[in-house]
Amino acid sequence: MISPEAQARLEQFKAMPIDGQALKKLVEAGLTWLRANQQTVNALNVFPVPDGDTGTNMVLTMQSAWAEIDNLGHRNVGQMAAAVSQGALMGARGNSGVILSQLWRGFARALHNQENLDGPGLVRAFAEARDTAYKGVVRPVEGTILTVAKDVASAAKYALAETQDPFEILERVVPAADASVEHTPELLPVLKQAGVVDSGGKGLFYILEGMLRYVYGQPLDTPLATVQPLSAMNLENTLESIEPGQDFEVVVDFVPSGSLDLQKFYGELETMGTSIQVGEGEGMYRMHIHVPTENRYHPIDYVMTLGTITKVAMENLLAQMDAVGQKASPDSIELANVEPGQIAVVAVSPGRGIARVFASLGVAAIVEGGQTMNPSTQEILSAFENLPTDKVIILPNNKNIILAAQAAKDVTVKNVHIVPSRTIPQGLAAMMQFNPAGDAEAVAAKMGKSLGDVTSGEITTATRTVEIDGVSVEKGQVIALMNGKLVLSAAAVEEACMGFLDKAEAASHELITLFYGEDLAQSEAARLVDVIRAAYPSQEIELQYGGQPHYQLIISVE
Amino acid sequence: MGEETTTLGTIHISPKAVATIAYHAALQSYGVVGLAPKNLAEGLASSITHVPAHGISVLYNGEEVDIDIHVIVEYGTRITSVASSVANTVRYQVEKALGMSVHNINVHVQGLRVSNPD
Repeated sequence: MISPEAQARLEQFKAMPIDGQALKKLVEAGLTWLRANQQTVNALNVFPVPDGDTGTNMVLTMQSAWAEIDNLGHRNVGQMAAAVSQGALMGARGNSGVILSQLWRGFARALHNQENLDGPGLVRAFAEARDTAYKGVVRPVEGTILTVAKDVASAAKYALAETQDPFEILERVVPAADASVEHTPELLPVLKQAGVVDSGGKGLFYILEGMLRYVYGQPLDTPLATVQPLSAMNLENTLESIEPGQDFEVVVDFVPSGSLDLQKFYGELETMGTSIQVGEGEGMYRMHIHVPTENRYHPIDYVMTLGTITKVAMENLLAQMDAVGQKASPDSIELANVEPGQIAVVAVSPGRGIARVFASLGVAAIVEGGQTMNPSTQEILSAFENLPTDKVIILPNNKNIILAAQAAKDVTVKNVHIVPSRTIPQGLAAMMQFNPAGDAEAVAAKMGKSLGDVTSGEITTATRTVEIDGVSVEKGQVIALMNGKLVLSAAAVEEACMGFLDKAEAASHELITLFYGEDLAQSEAARLVDVIRAAYPSQEIELQYGGQPHYQLIISVE
Repeated sequence: MGEETTTLGTIHISPKAVATIAYHAALQSYGVVGLAPKNLAEGLASSITHVPAHGISVLYNGEEVDIDIHVIVEYGTRITSVASSVANTVRYQVEKALGMSVHNINVHVQGLRVSNPD
């Protein structure tokens, strides 16, 4: 059934043991494929229960699992699985998300302390996953994700009679999961009435199938050639997945003259563009695609050959993206998603790199600004006014911005706490204590307390000749500030940096982080790191791109 | 509670009936491994009378229905997610069965059951 290339790739995989890193890849593949098919799963929701959509909940749960392991280097498969389980548990959303997290929990327990994942181990892990998931409910409802997990476990057990290879077991498990999902309406009448299969089970199937597709080397980012009900087509969100070069969105409504060969249809469309979606309702089809400017008429010409076009809509995405881009100021930085009721953090950042670090720590909005470019109260205000929560924490990250933050707090009706961070390192230290689901006041207090845990250094060039705090500085010299106070002047960045580290007593601390600004070349920064490493061999040293203007270096010692 | 006048007469729905629906809905929610009496007196009473709805209390003030649910949750699940899905399931099932809206659903997690220590 599978192509020779896929077969070859499978053989390659079979030759290697599944260690922690291999499992990580498989989890990533499962997540990616689930995400690609998220809308399909969402469309299966029959209950009008407002606990979010199943597909979205499962994706968020898997995403949390992925975030937990993203940076892990474990070779041990047991440790990796435990981390997946931990992440899934922390991020479990909705019913299906909780069940998914329990499946991972059982899976991980079966692999406890195992070096590699072999066939019998996989079978045990599937069985333990099923058992753990079933223990979580008094009256298990059949025809749900639980049933699919059960059928997966039995399929794996039967497969073991034929092969000991975990990948070959996976090859047998995926079709079994598919069949189990298709069978769910027979077990759960409400599904049959609604004419759908179980959404959670389908989600689980996509995770497993994603792993297998990864092994086969099949693409994971475009959903399979499926047709969804017209009402389920979600064209608003497609903007998120826009890629450079895909400048036009084309939506064509048409009635095919014969029956539509979907595989071929998708195949043709894939040569033209991305973000393909096809919907169907009462014989009418709707096709959605993003294409480069020069291809913008191709989908229309192609669909013309298939049937009668009833409507064509075309939109220039560049214009739309500009509008979207203005809202999320520094482009392509992934800010934390805030749920209603959670706490959102607004951080002031002088540079792209620093903004990205803040975003990775869970900041929901970034205001550009710093020493020489203080943001206005209005800019701070508009950063959080539109967030879907009324609990806000502001990190000014500069002593001159604390007042503007205070003013924003006075103007808004939202419940705002200010953690008076005076430097970037203080802001980052505070973010380490951040918990979006906590009590806003307690979280802010905890963040405030952590400000003293870190010594901040800033290296810049003096703009005038002056004597402050007993240090005399000539214009053009490099100066170092420690926690905002001028501590020394030097001829070059390296000298200032080493002098600062000495004053900050870096030798008795553990971690030195350098953020190099736009005025300092990366190679120069890397060379500095080597110099520091030689002088402080027992300290951990990290180098990050900060992108801040004027300050060659911002240094954090903790 | 829940009176409705039809051409044939009136329909009364007792709080106990509502509680029974809520009880079964709660037990079908994933992560819930049992319901718990909210206090000792209720525990004794329900063990004597075998009320099929212990751990549930239904309040009706003439206009709105409030339901309190006391549950035992499986250890190792994300409790907030379980609790919110109990509330959703119970609300959905009660509203579907009775055709009236439920005002508040309060979920009290009375305890955890440890069946898989890890």
